[in-house]
Amino acid sequence: MRELHRLSAVQIRDLFLSGKIKAIEIADYFLKRIEQHNPSLGAFLTILGPRALLKAELLDWKKEKKEPLGKLAGVPVGIKDNMHIEGELTTCASQFLRNYRAPFSATAVRLMEDEDALILGKLNLDEFAMGSGTENSSFFPCRNPWDLTKVPGGSSGGSSAAVAARLSLITTGTDTGGSIRQPAGFCGIVGFKPTYGRVSRFGLVAFGSSLDQIGPMTTSVEDAALTMEIIGQHCPNDATSLNLPQENYPLSKELEEGTAFGVPYHFLENLKPEIRANFDESIERFKRLGATIVDIDLDILKYSMAVYYILATAEATTNLARFDGIRYGVRSPEAKTLEEVYSFSRRDGFGREVKKRIMLGTFVLSSGYQDAYYKKAQKVRTLIIQAFEKSFEECDAILMPVAPSSAFPHNSIHDPVEMYLQDIFTIPANLAGLPAISVPSGFDSKGLPLGIQIYGPQMCDTLVMQYAYAFEQASQCIKIPPEFDGVGL
Amino acid sequence: MTERDVETWEPVIGLEIHAQLNTKSKLFSSAPNRFGDEPNMNISVICTGQPGSLPLLNQEAVKKAILFGLSIEADINLFSTFDRKSYFYPDSPRNFQITQFENPLIRNGSITAEIDGTLKRFEIEKAHIEDDAGTLRHFSQFVGIDYNRAGVPLIEIVSKPCMHSAKEAVHYAMAIRTLLLYLDVCDGNMQEGSLRFDANISVRRKGEKTLRPRSEIKNLNSFSFMQMAVEREIERQIKLYQENPSTDYLTLIPPGTYRWDQELKKVVLMRAKESVDDYRYFPEPDIVPIVLTEELLASLRDELPELPNDRLHRYINDLGLSDHLATILVYDKPLSDYFEQALKYCNHPRLLSNWLTVEFTGRLKGSGQTLLDLKIPAAHVGKLISLIEQNKVTGKIAKMIADEMIAKPEVDPEEFIKENKNFEPLDDGTEIEAIVDQVLQENPQSIQDYLSGKKRAFAFLVGEVMKMTQGRASPQIVNALIHKKLQPPIS
Repeated sequence: MRELHRLSAVQIRDLFLSGKIKAIEIADYFLKRIEQHNPSLGAFLTILGPRALLKAELLDWKKEKKEPLGKLAGVPVGIKDNMHIEGELTTCASQFLRNYRAPFSATAVRLMEDEDALILGKLNLDEFAMGSGTENSSFFPCRNPWDLTKVPGGSSGGSSAAVAARLSLITTGTDTGGSIRQPAGFCGIVGFKPTYGRVSRFGLVAFGSSLDQIGPMTTSVEDAALTMEIIGQHCPNDATSLNLPQENYPLSKELEEGTAFGVPYHFLENLKPEIRANFDESIERFKRLGATIVDIDLDILKYSMAVYYILATAEATTNLARFDGIRYGVRSPEAKTLEEVYSFSRRDGFGREVKKRIMLGTFVLSSGYQDAYYKKAQKVRTLIIQAFEKSFEECDAILMPVAPSSAFPHNSIHDPVEMYLQDIFTIPANLAGLPAISVPSGFDSKGLPLGIQIYGPQMCDTLVMQYAYAFEQASQCIKIPPEFDGVGL
Repeated sequence: MTERDVETWEPVIGLEIHAQLNTKSKLFSSAPNRFGDEPNMNISVICTGQPGSLPLLNQEAVKKAILFGLSIEADINLFSTFDRKSYFYPDSPRNFQITQFENPLIRNGSITAEIDGTLKRFEIEKAHIEDDAGTLRHFSQFVGIDYNRAGVPLIEIVSKPCMHSAKEAVHYAMAIRTLLLYLDVCDGNMQEGSLRFDANISVRRKGEKTLRPRSEIKNLNSFSFMQMAVEREIERQIKLYQENPSTDYLTLIPPGTYRWDQELKKVVLMRAKESVDDYRYFPEPDIVPIVLTEELLASLRDELPELPNDRLHRYINDLGLSDHLATILVYDKPLSDYFEQALKYCNHPRLLSNWLTVEFTGRLKGSGQTLLDLKIPAAHVGKLISLIEQNKVTGKIAKMIADEMIAKPEVDPEEFIKENKNFEPLDDGTEIEAIVDQVLQENPQSIQDYLSGKKRAFAFLVGEVMKMTQGRASPQIVNALIHKKLQPPIS
């Protein structure tokens, strides 16, 4: 039996299209892997076995009838559980939505299914995408396949762990402050956040409306590019969706001559030694590919945490106001009055982190404080956008580490600010709406993955992907965790 | 208010009007914008605030709002945005309304209305678009929520506090309503809630520069209720100030929302406001700003239909209608449109206007129905007037035909004439002359009275002839004949 989990999405698709393997075999293979490994990993919240098998049969039938097949034909895909698949549960890892079935499919999901993807299940996350370790899931935590005592990162921890453990070859994550890139970095896989508006948010349960983006999490840059070709489209159901045609993502091992990468050395002064060492190594690698390195000033990014936690929570508090126990979700059975329906349902339905952020968001918008907090943060956001624009005048892309450390142990961070600081290098991309990718760049002394992050100017998604590809091909850092690479399963 | 009160006290009134725009679909979704259907039929995932749904702006609604702004000569904001207004209530599917707080579409503007012969100009502060909430229905054991109305586009029109009497407030309200109908942006149905009025009322001594505290009366859904409610509230506030000259104003008139109770004929407190509501407005991130150009506004200006004041002008100046009748017609758009239709079939606008507003309306007064309810084709009324113009029927016969038309709305007036010999006029001079002779012979005393100067006797004689001809004689001919026959002989 072929070790299908060692293949990339492109390879498995080609295998299927060439007739060398049946879709049902692919489905069986990966569903068995999930069955075996998910209990220890906690990556999947819902496994859509019968649905996947049905789709596989359909694909095999289409193949036999020589019907045209899509770009993801036979590729096992997982969907983060804050994105809708019509008729299936979308829990957002929250007790509030533990019984909620999606009335429609997210555009990104529909686009992938139209290309004949084999959807295996819904993936674990921090509740309502709020967190950096998937420890805030109200069902069970998710673990890092490289070391089960460590977090996989968050909020797309399930998506990341599933790909790292090769339970699925492609998963979708969502990124509001780094929730694709940071877990990708922690788990040693590729994670891409598109330009804001490149991928439709229709069918994504909103957290930070002006920050959220859906993006691919994959075992290779080529697979991420393939996914982006499919989901990076204008959507008439999302008014913030860019009115741009679908793009192709040409990939080359070489960098174009004269490519310059900006590095904000001053902003990155206080990196942990191992992170610094690995980061410097990555810079060297880019130099060997012929790139020049430019020192850029992004000191303003020291305000990005504060700006983010004001704006994101303000948007979140209104986005989560609809969860009131009236129309859907779980209503508290104890509630006797309207007031009680609201307060008990939300008291019981939301976890601590969610409540904290709702309160924070309400506070920064409240009368008497709005000017000092919300409005001020908006102004600084503009300054951050301008700082990036200025930097991109001197370089084609910007390099940064993905996170201040490798994956941290479960239950080790109790100071909320320390937890929030996990996102210090990823948040700016969301504030400025820039495309950014996390590519594996090596391992630390504990054997935990590290990643390099590449930022591009707005709408330069293909460029970012290309730089990532060149790095990936040159560094060959992507590996499968040995525990999950056994022969047979 | 007593005479003395009017001298001393000045009421200050502002109106907030919510008008539902009559678009096919809702403001942020393609769900149908319709009244009266079974609950929760006209909804989409956006209307019930499902997670993962996103609002999409209805361009037609924006256009209708712009047309309103142009018609009141307002400043149209070339760059306007939406904001989230947070408050929890079951009729709100997201627990925030999407409205325009920071950058409304429309600022300033004015509308004029004639009150007791004088033209008064009312200033408008601003107008913006926002979405309506659902409706709650109370049953004995539970409350049901219907989201059919949730998301319907509203234009909220806020006047400056420029009205100083209940009458002014009502005239302003009527003028806005008529304008909205002429623009075809709202159906103006106050009973169904497509047009809602809230009044903000305060009083102060004449000459005072600052405003005193105000109370808000919500949901005045008829003009007569509005008149009564506003008057009562003005009286109530004046009395409070008069009876408590040393009490602080805010204690006498604490912030509160009232409603008009038609049974009690009183303004009743709905909700006292302990504190100002904090709606935590901030820019709606899911909707891109509305960006307009001067070219677009110019082309929309060209699309404006004839507005009430223009029509009023045309009726008075071009068609020669009296101010009074012209105003009645213009302010009743369906009737005015009917008038325009009927006018295609005759040549005398004044005569037609009189028949529509006096003769027909008078006949229908008790029945509770209007001319339009009866569905008498405008062409028929036009034809009737035309028949009068051509002397094919006398005025009196025409009135009888009108009765027939009301009884049988489908029948053409010419049919009535064909079927009833009595409706045909007597224009045979000899037949009339014979009857005139007969009447004169039978009423010698009247002739004497007339000749000795009693003008009324003449009218009596004419009346007798008309009676005998059953109204089929033309009064002019009868008049002429009697005159001729009664000329005093040259003595």
